[in-house]
Amino acid sequence: MIGTVAKQEWRLLKADRTLAAVVVLMAAMVGYSLYNGSSWVAFQRQTLGAAETEQAERKGKLLKTLKGIEEGRIEVKGTQDPRSAASIGGNSSAPYLAMPPAPLATLAVGQSDLYPYYFKLNLRSKQAILANDEIENPTNLLAGRFDLAFVLVYLFPLVALALGYNLISSEREQGTLALAMSQPLTMREMVTGKIVLRGGLLLGLVVLFTFAGALLTGVDLGSSTVWLRLGLWVSLMALYTGFWFGLAVLVNSYQTSSATNALTLAGAWLGLVLVLPSVANLVATSMYPVPSRVEMVQAMRVAGKEAQSKGSMLLAKYMEDHPELMPAGEKPAADFTTLSYAVQMEVDKKVEPVLKRFDEQVEKQQAFVEGFKYLSPAILAQTAINDLAGTSLGRYQHFSRQVDGFFDAWKGYFLPKVFAKTKLGSGEVAGLPVYQFREETDGDILGRVGVVLAGMLVLSGAVLWVGYIRLRRVSIS
Amino acid sequence: MLQAIGLSKSYGAQTALDGLNLEVKPGEIFCLLGANGAGKTTTINLFLNFIEPTSGLAKINGLDVASDALETKKYIAYIPEQVSLYKNLTGLENLDYFATLASGAAVEKSRLVGYLREVDLPSGAEDRKVSTYSKGMRQKIVIAIAMAKQAKALLLDEPTSGLDPKASNEFSQLIRKLAGNGTAILMATHDLFRAKEDGSRVGIMRQGRLRQVLNTDEFGHADLERIYLEHMHD
Repeated sequence: MIGTVAKQEWRLLKADRTLAAVVVLMAAMVGYSLYNGSSWVAFQRQTLGAAETEQAERKGKLLKTLKGIEEGRIEVKGTQDPRSAASIGGNSSAPYLAMPPAPLATLAVGQSDLYPYYFKLNLRSKQAILANDEIENPTNLLAGRFDLAFVLVYLFPLVALALGYNLISSEREQGTLALAMSQPLTMREMVTGKIVLRGGLLLGLVVLFTFAGALLTGVDLGSSTVWLRLGLWVSLMALYTGFWFGLAVLVNSYQTSSATNALTLAGAWLGLVLVLPSVANLVATSMYPVPSRVEMVQAMRVAGKEAQSKGSMLLAKYMEDHPELMPAGEKPAADFTTLSYAVQMEVDKKVEPVLKRFDEQVEKQQAFVEGFKYLSPAILAQTAINDLAGTSLGRYQHFSRQVDGFFDAWKGYFLPKVFAKTKLGSGEVAGLPVYQFREETDGDILGRVGVVLAGMLVLSGAVLWVGYIRLRRVSIS
Repeated sequence: MLQAIGLSKSYGAQTALDGLNLEVKPGEIFCLLGANGAGKTTTINLFLNFIEPTSGLAKINGLDVASDALETKKYIAYIPEQVSLYKNLTGLENLDYFATLASGAAVEKSRLVGYLREVDLPSGAEDRKVSTYSKGMRQKIVIAIAMAKQAKALLLDEPTSGLDPKASNEFSQLIRKLAGNGTAILMATHDLFRAKEDGSRVGIMRQGRLRQVLNTDEFGHADLERIYLEHMHD
């Protein structure tokens, strides 16, 4: 029976050209968004490639100079000694720490245009690294890109609702409902046949076009993590489709006209997809306000000024604490470089509580939104797609932790040498650690996306369940 | 085949059908007459289980409609007043869908075309979209559905309203043919002429009650109109 209804739906969609319209629309939207996503990824790859080349050239040049000095071919002139720890650690061998785009990055731009995906290391504070980001038109950043995630989270539900808003009402309005229901067919069977075909068709098209797009944009289908992610992505989309068709069934069960259904569903879309996420943001930012950036900058300035004024005292105190760093046979150095690092360390210490408060509030906001997201399937879908594409906050934090670790190790190695005025040789420079981004494990992804899938299952299941319960009471005459 | 036992339906204080007792035997055409709101359509909807009775039973082939809804629908065919089909599909596609639903399995195309010839649908019309059909042609498709289903009972709601005399006549012949094959037919109508012509019995309804049942061979056309109007006036 369900199969018969599904077959009839197929005929109907074909006959009134809905099928053709949906195919063209989905192909255009998926195609354009994947093009956008892949050009963003290509830009990132190009940038990272250029950074890597620059870094290799710089290091090569440094090694050449150092060898030259060691072999006595080059003479050190002026104040800048290329062998100094400050110069090598802070500039000439400072690496880029990069988070390369994940395998499915073309699916979602996500947070990747807001958060830096590479840092150039130095020996200063973390703030100095963070301030080193790209300049992008803020309007673009605010609106976000037309990526596949946008199509799937925001536009896909509209297409689903366009296919589902008149599941029962159209049959009633064109007068075929009574004829169908005078056959041995239940209302539930009829509705199931309809949503199985319409939902399945829509889902099938999206999956087909995305896989085709993924192949065209060079996604490596040979790796198991790609398949895991694609599998999770298909499950997510199936549940998301289920939710919107469930909502259509629920609204149809109230037996209102097609026009009323369309309005009601458009309102629901607006609420769940646009209003609820904004409300979540608003509530989060007013419940846990972040201290103003001005306050942070002010604190840094004050601390900076204070530290500057007693720079030599700070340095002397530091050298007292670390007598082993005293340059052999010399008085404690008090040149510009060492003084400035001593001041820097003091400023870092002073500013730390302000930064911590800043981070804490942001974390609280995120924790709040984390809970809030289970109210809206759109927020759920967006977070899961970002996770699968590797453009989520989670992966960014994962990267940020790696950066912190490497940065601390880097400073731990170089700063004592700066104060001790140690000179580095080519052997030491060649042996410096190289940063390699560690990708999130499949387990990390599975854990985060699994929870979202469970939430989505509950939402979709609840809507479908209530809708199907109500179908029993739908009258035919 | 069709049986109503003390069948009643009320909506709050308003009684749409009041203690209807009725039996339509195989091969019989029973015409329900009455003004709008007399309870004719309510009776048909109760047999279709589109609404639930307040009290009493509607039985098809001995089975209670309310408790065996799906099973009883295997035996009946229904022709609504507004015969609506899927406009964008052809007559044959419409027939295919409903016949498959009715019998629970796909029906061969040649058999479907055979039914369409039997109901006298103009040759070639089956491949045209239903949006080009007249009401009479749409009705023929629905009768073909009843044939494909091999329905034991047929429920008709004002089938001849809006038909021209020729189409109305063709329709009558089809109905009589089905009755001749042993189908029990319950027809709600305003058409006294057709009721007298086609019906085996007529029942006159008013305000939810069946006031009188007559055998059509016991009176003439003029008598029926007189009796009908008498019931309407008092």
